[in-house]
Amino acid sequence: MERLACVNVPALPLQILLQDHPDWRPHPVAVVAEDRPQSPILSVNGRARKSGVAPGLSYASALSLLPDLRAAPVVPSHLARTVEALAARLRAFSPEVEASSHEPGVLWANVSGLHRLYPSLESWACAVRTDLAGMGFTALIVVGFTKFGTSAAARTARTIRVFADSSEEREAAGRVPLARLGAIPPETIEALHELGIRSVGALLGLPAAGLLERFGPELHRLHLLAADALWAPLQPQIPAEPIRRSVLLDAPEDNADGLVFLIKRLLHPMLSALASSGRALGALDVRLRPDRQAWHAERIRPASPTLDAVQILDLVRLRLESVGLVAGVLEIELEASGQQATPDQLHLFTEHQQRDLEAGNRALARLRAELGDDAVVRAVLRNGHLPEGRFGWEPMDRLQIPRPHPVEVRALVRRVFARPQGLPPAPRPSHDDGWLVSGVVRGAVSDQTGPYILSGGWWVREVRRDYYYIETRRGELLWVYYDRRRRGWFHHGRVE
Amino acid sequence: MNYVPLWCKTNFSFHEGASHPEELVEEAHRLGLRAIAITDRDGVYGIVEAHLKARELGVHVIVGAQVTVSESTVIVLLARDRTGYANLCQLLTIGRLRSPKGESVVTWDEVCTHAKGLISLWGGDRSLLVAEAAPQSDRGPDLVAGWLRDAFGDALYAMAARHRRDTEVRQEAHLRERASRYGIPVVGAVEVLYHMPSRRPVQDALTCIRQGVTLAEAGQLLKPNGEHDLKSPFAFAALFDNDPHTVGLTNEVASRCTFSLAELRYRYPSEHLPDGKTSSQWLRELTFAGAQERHGSVVPPDVAMQLERELALIDELDYCGYFLTMYEIVRFCRSRGILCQGRGSAANSAVCYCLGITAVDPVRMDLLFERFLSRERAEPPDIDLDIEHDRREEAIQWMYEKYGRDRAAMVANIIRYRTRSAVRDVGKTLGLSLTTLDRLAKMHSHYGDVAPDVLREGGLDPDAPLHRYLMRLANEILDFPRHLSIHPGGFLLGHEPVSALVPIENATMPERTVIQWDKDSVEGVGLFKVDLLGLGALTQLHLAFDQLQQYRGINLSMATVPGDDAETFEWICRADTIGVFQIESRAQMAMLPRLRPRNYYDLVVEVSIVRPGPIVGGMVHPYLRRRHGGEPIEYPHPSLEPVLGKTLGVPLFQEQVIRLAMVAADYTPGEADQLRRDMAAWRRSGRIERHRDRLISRMQANGIAPEFAARVFEQIRGFGEYGFPEAHASSFALIAFASAYLKRHYHAEFTCSLLNAQPMGFYAPSTIVEDAKRHGVEVRPIDVLRSAWGCILEELADSLPGNGDQPDGWRFAVRMGLRYVKGLGEEHGVCITGARADGPFESLDDFVRRAGLDVRALVALARAGAFERLGVDRREALWQIRALAKRLGMTLPMKVSETIPRFDGLGAFEVIAWDYDATSHSVRGHPLEPLRDQLAAAGLLDAQTVAARNDGETVRYAGLVICRQMPGTASGVTFMTLEDETGFVNLVVWPRVFERNARLAKSTPLLGVTGRLQKQQGVVHIIVQKMWKPELHRRLPAVASRDFH
Repeated sequence: MERLACVNVPALPLQILLQDHPDWRPHPVAVVAEDRPQSPILSVNGRARKSGVAPGLSYASALSLLPDLRAAPVVPSHLARTVEALAARLRAFSPEVEASSHEPGVLWANVSGLHRLYPSLESWACAVRTDLAGMGFTALIVVGFTKFGTSAAARTARTIRVFADSSEEREAAGRVPLARLGAIPPETIEALHELGIRSVGALLGLPAAGLLERFGPELHRLHLLAADALWAPLQPQIPAEPIRRSVLLDAPEDNADGLVFLIKRLLHPMLSALASSGRALGALDVRLRPDRQAWHAERIRPASPTLDAVQILDLVRLRLESVGLVAGVLEIELEASGQQATPDQLHLFTEHQQRDLEAGNRALARLRAELGDDAVVRAVLRNGHLPEGRFGWEPMDRLQIPRPHPVEVRALVRRVFARPQGLPPAPRPSHDDGWLVSGVVRGAVSDQTGPYILSGGWWVREVRRDYYYIETRRGELLWVYYDRRRRGWFHHGRVE
Repeated sequence: MNYVPLWCKTNFSFHEGASHPEELVEEAHRLGLRAIAITDRDGVYGIVEAHLKARELGVHVIVGAQVTVSESTVIVLLARDRTGYANLCQLLTIGRLRSPKGESVVTWDEVCTHAKGLISLWGGDRSLLVAEAAPQSDRGPDLVAGWLRDAFGDALYAMAARHRRDTEVRQEAHLRERASRYGIPVVGAVEVLYHMPSRRPVQDALTCIRQGVTLAEAGQLLKPNGEHDLKSPFAFAALFDNDPHTVGLTNEVASRCTFSLAELRYRYPSEHLPDGKTSSQWLRELTFAGAQERHGSVVPPDVAMQLERELALIDELDYCGYFLTMYEIVRFCRSRGILCQGRGSAANSAVCYCLGITAVDPVRMDLLFERFLSRERAEPPDIDLDIEHDRREEAIQWMYEKYGRDRAAMVANIIRYRTRSAVRDVGKTLGLSLTTLDRLAKMHSHYGDVAPDVLREGGLDPDAPLHRYLMRLANEILDFPRHLSIHPGGFLLGHEPVSALVPIENATMPERTVIQWDKDSVEGVGLFKVDLLGLGALTQLHLAFDQLQQYRGINLSMATVPGDDAETFEWICRADTIGVFQIESRAQMAMLPRLRPRNYYDLVVEVSIVRPGPIVGGMVHPYLRRRHGGEPIEYPHPSLEPVLGKTLGVPLFQEQVIRLAMVAADYTPGEADQLRRDMAAWRRSGRIERHRDRLISRMQANGIAPEFAARVFEQIRGFGEYGFPEAHASSFALIAFASAYLKRHYHAEFTCSLLNAQPMGFYAPSTIVEDAKRHGVEVRPIDVLRSAWGCILEELADSLPGNGDQPDGWRFAVRMGLRYVKGLGEEHGVCITGARADGPFESLDDFVRRAGLDVRALVALARAGAFERLGVDRREALWQIRALAKRLGMTLPMKVSETIPRFDGLGAFEVIAWDYDATSHSVRGHPLEPLRDQLAAAGLLDAQTVAARNDGETVRYAGLVICRQMPGTASGVTFMTLEDETGFVNLVVWPRVFERNARLAKSTPLLGVTGRLQKQQGVVHIIVQKMWKPELHRRLPAVASRDFH
């Protein structure tokens, strides 16, 4: 008979929260759904539970019971990453692992035959428990025969339990309170409690058809699972294997074209593998090991996922030409990241439009390949008051059809320096003509207007600048400011 | 060169201005400015506060507003004269009433229509005049300038606002070019948002609160610099040093604005007067007709004399219309069968009594008319009318209908920042986590500063820069206006449209409009308001009187309740007053056996004495000792005997304190009036303190001992917390006695009406039901075959005229109403009673089919045990209902036969617990009744046994917590009331005991205590030494506790 183990990491979000905030351990702690006072509490630690704080209560209500209750949400992506990490860890102990889709922290593993690798299934469970403890998680482990039976028993197990036969598992599962199963919505639990039905065993005493009519298919399914009337096999998740190719060269290759040619040989089968799974290449990681040197890594991103080898190799070539390798390459490794591709992307040859944005995107990809990922940016307006806070640069992945607004052409243009340049102190009174802002080259200041004051940011780093437009004898119009906090003059731009 | 700031926004420009109106006026005065314009955003909310401060300092306040005009542009309007002020208010009213709450927008056309008497300042960075280029619409600056010039003539100015921003240079160039083209003079200004530059961070934080962003996200939503402070004349001149003429023009504008709020003259709406009578004649006629009804055909001479005196004064002060209006409202209520009664100082007036507005005869009670109305005080009378709480809306809508929405509007209530809201709002702007802020807010009390200790306790470092800002800013915005709410029942009525006095805007509640001033502002400018307040006790009395008529044929009313009924006073003396208006609280019940009221006036004293005023002032014990002959009745000075004679030499009423100040400390009527106002400004810090030296020194100068003088001041300060005027207490005492009379003689009706008038009073329905049961009233459970929506009376089997302990022999049980089933709405009740009218329900299936309720309502009824008389217990009903309700929706209903599973039956405790969970009460028993053996085995006494033990004994007791109270007057002592199936036990918990057990005391429904028994004059308390949680191994139902702070 097949043996299954259920690994239950109870209150996983809470365990994650306490790992993120170790200073909270001595305090009552709760996981909330969102960072807002009315958010319901999802789980609590023992200290909070002792004071009457229970899941379901809003954080605001819980605070009236326990003013020093600490709480925060655990974001779903963090939870998913942790579950994935747990599953990956468990795969070191069993080839077949399934993580519960609706209850993070519950995982099953196929342990059939593992007694040959371990002295007993208990010791297998101990090893798993110790390993997970090394990750900072506490787990309860039950080894039995069915997914339902083991997961139910894992709710009430102290640490590790191994059932000798299936009747023992059924009996233990029958004693488990319904509220501990986690699969039944709270309102259904409450309705069943009202009927005096509190445990899995008691639930089995109700007619399955009656449950279906009154409480719907979910509870009906659970009834069937508990009665062992529904086959629920383990559905292990097979992690997607990355598509990798490598080649070890006999002699160091220092010619870029030669390297491209070698890469081309590796790339074609990789593209075929991607195409056969309905994917296209989104990025190609190229790792090169020069002779007696450390590995050198580059990432090549086409403008959009593609199976066009010519386009990819062109980008590879551009990148390799711009990278100065200090020695000939002895080893090449390629790893392809695939993305679900559209039918167009799967076509090697597509019809070209007259104004082809994709061509533009490909050109940008070539620029990135040649000059690095940060080479292609675009200016965006920001809503700060300081000149440097009014615009910024952000990476641009793809081109968009331009939609220009009509703008008034100003007679004067103010050019802002990337970094303000220090100026000598102004003589007092400052409108005297003796102020040489930049030596004698520009001549003395002949006129100035201002101050125009910019101040703010008091909550982080206070800024107070008195800006002036000054005109030098040579006719230059400069934009300068006096920084009241740094007590100095700075040249911030010029007017043209 | 001096100047006048013409564009100043206070913190009544909600979440924009960062200074109180008084602060701006004070700063203007300090800077030597002769005038200041207050121009809040689309309102005149803060103008009265500015006006009162300006009057004190001799600064002229120019009344104005920054008005939002279509397309998000603004214009500043200033009132030159009374007409201009009326126009401004009406313009704002138009903008407000057409917009959602909190917003306002008017059109240029409307601005021009209301131009008379106004000065227009056109400018600022949102103005059309500075716009980059004329928009492509017909509302470009050229067109609008033409309209404004035609409407305002020489009262139109272009406003060049400077805040040292470089963008303003170009804007001002546009403005000057256009102004010169249109021929409009240019006046200089700063958009003042705070009185001191140090308030800039507050302004930034307020902006973020208004925009719903954090400071880090705010960007250009914030002002670019801190140049929005009130400038000194020197700084203002420096700002406009290239054009001093614009500075000089500010003075010209100011000198054209001569209007002051002191000019507001208010005329009360004149009622419809018959046969060409004047309002004075009509009031006299009605008053004397009422006097004959009250006193018989021959009005006693002392009453007639009093009426003449009052009528003469009312006529002289031109208040006849106000009294006639109150009379009309009362008449309307009577015509609709709505119980109402005047409260407050109106009960001092014989005219009010004769008009039927109040129910207390002030002549017989020797009440002081001057407390209500006096020539010296020159202040409008204030009549508060209590109306049955569930019918008050009828009266409110009638007011709107009768006077029209332009002549009647409700008074606002300005909601201000308190500690918790300040922490929450400021913390959000600083980007702190919402859950942390919630925790921090709850750790603070409602009043007081945000303190570093509390921050530390909440897990925040008070020395961290961000947290320091949290403390600083939150403390700075305390008492800032946050939003406008609606006064519970205050109306402003006017002969002319109210919108000519103050702008009117929409309230959140549908069908309500509200003025922009709160009651303090209304009073500050001497306007009248009418208060229509909801009172649950009147609803209860009305319901009880109706039941007496319906079931027993007894016609009882407030006027015919026998006021000297000894049995009622007997019950009152032994504090059997659960549910009795005003004398049911724990503190009142503890006082009753000590004071032992034997007549109506004793009840007036009882109602007044358990108030923070007398308690803080240390008046309670001297009064009790003197009443029982324990100490001689003495007066600190012979002149005080007439003032304090009625209350045995101890001041108990607010008006006694006022008279005391006048007689003993030579307060002038004006000073006394200020004292009264300062006492009424409840919780506003420091206002009473300014009377300390004046009162004490003057009393000493009049030969009163310094200790007594100091004590009198403490008493006055106590009244600052809260104290009753005698007339107010007299009105309440009438209702209290009527309520007690019903309880004593018609307990079933009393209970039934009280349950139907909920929510009201001090106790939860479960306590009312338990009390009725202890008095032998049968209370029957909710039953779909019998219950109506409300509770009803059912005749008992042994009910016969001439039988039993009831005066007429009829005896009734109370049947609980469907309204007590949690989750059931009145519409469900209508379905049930409607279906039942077609014939009784025969089975659960029959009920489900005919009543047509949804599954949630059916489940709620099943949980409450309402189907038991159909032969199905609760669990079986719950199982069946879920299927029956589903089958009801089938196109082809089928008869399904299925075996009903056997469910475990409910035990006695569970039945009661289910009752509490489903209906918040149980008629089947008290939750502790089935557990009594278990409690007794643990050595725990019941309430009855505790009461029978001796003073000083140590007892152990456990009961359900039904009340927690921590009055501010009790120096941190907490009072708790615990209940079991035999009665109540009152606990006194000293602060250190409470702190040790705070969590238990605040949260557990069943509390165990060990303590010393204190029995004094029939009052029993346990002085708690220890608290614990009894181990019962049962989940007790949630029992409602009324908690007060």
